[in-house]
Amino acid sequence: MTTRREFLKISAAVGGGLTVGFHVPFAAAQQQVLTPEINAWVLVRPDDRVIIRYARSEMGQGSMTSAAQLVAEELGCDWKKVQVEYADTNAQVRRKRVWGDMASVGSRTIRFSQEYLRKGGAQAREMLVAAAAQGWRVKPSQCRVANGVISGPGGRKTTFGKVATAAAKMTPPQEVALKDPKDWTIAGKPIPRIEIPDIVTARIRYGIDAHLPGMAYAAIAQCPVFGGKVKSVDAAAIQGRRGILKVLPLGDYVAVVADNWWRAKEALKALPIDWDFGPNASVSSETIKQLLRAGLDADSDVVVAKNAGDVAQALKGAPVIEAEYYTPYLAHVTMEPMGCAALVKEGRVDIWTSTQNAEASHAAAAATAGVPLENVYVHRTQLGGGFGRRGGAQDFVRQGVQIAKAMEGTPVKMLWTREEDMQHDFYRPVSMVRFRAALGADGNPVALYSRVSAPSIIATLLKLPLKDGIDPQAVAAIADQPYQIANVRMEYAQRNPPVPVGFWRTVGHSQNPFMRESFIDELAHAAGKDAYAYRRALLPESSRERRILDATAKAAGWGSPLPKGVHRGIAVTEGYGSYTSAVCELSVSDKQEVSIRRLVLGVDPGHAVNPDNILAQMQGSAVFMLTAMFWGEITIKDGRVEQSNFNDHRVMRLAEMPKVELVLAPTGGFWGGIGEPGQASIAPAVCNALFAATGKRIRALPLRNEGFELA
Amino acid sequence: MKRRGFLSGVVVLPVAGRVGKAFAQTEPKRGRVKLELPVLADNGNSVPMKVRVESPMSEADHVKSIRLLSERNPEREMAVFHLGPRAGAAEISTRVRLAGSQVVTAIAEMSDGSQWMDSAHVQVTLSACVDGS
Repeated sequence: MTTRREFLKISAAVGGGLTVGFHVPFAAAQQQVLTPEINAWVLVRPDDRVIIRYARSEMGQGSMTSAAQLVAEELGCDWKKVQVEYADTNAQVRRKRVWGDMASVGSRTIRFSQEYLRKGGAQAREMLVAAAAQGWRVKPSQCRVANGVISGPGGRKTTFGKVATAAAKMTPPQEVALKDPKDWTIAGKPIPRIEIPDIVTARIRYGIDAHLPGMAYAAIAQCPVFGGKVKSVDAAAIQGRRGILKVLPLGDYVAVVADNWWRAKEALKALPIDWDFGPNASVSSETIKQLLRAGLDADSDVVVAKNAGDVAQALKGAPVIEAEYYTPYLAHVTMEPMGCAALVKEGRVDIWTSTQNAEASHAAAAATAGVPLENVYVHRTQLGGGFGRRGGAQDFVRQGVQIAKAMEGTPVKMLWTREEDMQHDFYRPVSMVRFRAALGADGNPVALYSRVSAPSIIATLLKLPLKDGIDPQAVAAIADQPYQIANVRMEYAQRNPPVPVGFWRTVGHSQNPFMRESFIDELAHAAGKDAYAYRRALLPESSRERRILDATAKAAGWGSPLPKGVHRGIAVTEGYGSYTSAVCELSVSDKQEVSIRRLVLGVDPGHAVNPDNILAQMQGSAVFMLTAMFWGEITIKDGRVEQSNFNDHRVMRLAEMPKVELVLAPTGGFWGGIGEPGQASIAPAVCNALFAATGKRIRALPLRNEGFELA
Repeated sequence: MKRRGFLSGVVVLPVAGRVGKAFAQTEPKRGRVKLELPVLADNGNSVPMKVRVESPMSEADHVKSIRLLSERNPEREMAVFHLGPRAGAAEISTRVRLAGSQVVTAIAEMSDGSQWMDSAHVQVTLSACVDGS
């Protein structure tokens, strides 16, 4: 039998083909000293190892690898010699934001940074070539690059490492030509994610792993009612408990600092806290639904997001099909709860945290501590899940720094409990949508009216002014629905219950395509037409929606005979610049247990930078969305969240996962996202299949409340 | 310079005109104005900033006004500060509300009618999840 130690030795040798490393972020700073920086993105060591900087975050979405592939592709280096390290926020501040946006949000990494990443790689390559050419006294155009080796006339050869120091001194070229994606050799390939070996061997560091000498630990309790505050705490009640260093009432939360986290948490539990619950203590899921329902009927405080033709006229005199849809609040429930370790000392702030936006963490730390941006250092780590929770809101950083400031000179690691995390999230907004449609003689819709009654993340979390009163996320995929319908009117009633809302993976596209694509299914059914053919006929011939719908339906064998009791559903939508379609085959037992037999997911992201990662993202999207649609729901009672931990917040288990069949159909010419769009088509495809199987139209999620369970 | 002394020489008027007004006169030239804004702002609701203009601030040669222009705010002209020789120094510091990441511009109009400007980009990190920020 192979022992664990032997096994590790063998796998190290076998796995040696890909020696791509990953910097443990804590040690990264020291390693740059001897390494010439060609430009902000590329450093080349004398031993030919190439360090590619990555500015955004890695939370399992794979962009750290994909972004590096784009740089490496243009650089022309040997991928086996590539290491990736995080760009530093302090240098970012000092270097006029040379790395651009650092946020991993909105499925943006590739689509928003591909151009400057590729240019960064191409520019570095030309500087390396120029340095070699200068040494050989030949023209750069006489030189060729492959795998980190530069070849010149007369059989001259050198490597990136040998010319790196000279290249670093070259003037960067202004214009560089980029490769046609069809000539890619590193990008576009299913390269394994670079941080996986470090995850598997537990070398990776998450924010929760931060450890500093002399570190203290903090547990916090936030007011259970949203908007409430601390009135007083009876610190004497926990006096004499072992290890307690400080009790800190901090406005809307209380922190207990101790010499270990468990002692802090237990002391906090025993600490009598008198809360001022404020005005929201009587809010419940019912009062929230009433507010949203009133928004569906209201004549005022409603804006028109889209108006074409005359919907009111077209709805007159024709039989009107009407339906109302509802989706609940959802929590992010990242595997790693919120937390932040911080050290505030002599006007300098260091933080260690899992963040989707290191720049935002940097700015929040500086503002909270009241120090200049130049005095802040963000030590970046892998994220134990993000899903939007760690981007827009930096509440955990503010708390971590606030506590560390009160403990000036002592590093403090603040960590939330799972319960705190689930009950103090910025939730996917609750939403209610009413549709009305009239069909023409051919069964196709001649008019579509829709009204969304929902909170605005942008107005409440970001506090930004809304253009024309419209939150584009609240009305996403409805205001810009793709079907050719002559008369369309879309209204938005912004209604903000006192529950904090935020960006949850796929944001507006996590609920609106479910509603829209289910309603289109209702129309197809009323018209007595096939769900796929009906959509296809309504989509413009050249539309990308139609292309991915066709590709997915074909791969799924739409229309082919199914075994008895098995039924299909289909959906299509745009999202984050990509186009997705889904076909679900399922059966339902007489106990309403749903067996998903096939889940065929099609995506057209324009360019596929890493096909293996795209598959992983589509699979992950299925886990996330099936969890949400079967069980996901945050309910409110007495102004507080009722769910607390995995005992009352069910997530999908490994054995329940259906096989995902990916239809990757990139059509080029545009760059779409991949972290989020995969979720958008899943819920309507599954619910439309459920209707085909049972005749029951699902107009509210989660499915558990409709009596369905995943088999 | 102390805030109190600084304020006594400056009258802040509520913003009236639109951005067009600021550009109605001669094209402002870059220089003489120094606009200080943080590279990153945690919160767009209150971003500290400072404008300094090189000027002797004498009767003959002084800064008449400093305009703050936003690229993205619903109200593009955020503030107009009217100064005179009694201000002593052509320097203002204030906090502004910014609707997301953008370029902020300060334009100073001199007593000789010439206009000078500086601009700076500020990344409002809170808005990072919104497309186009």
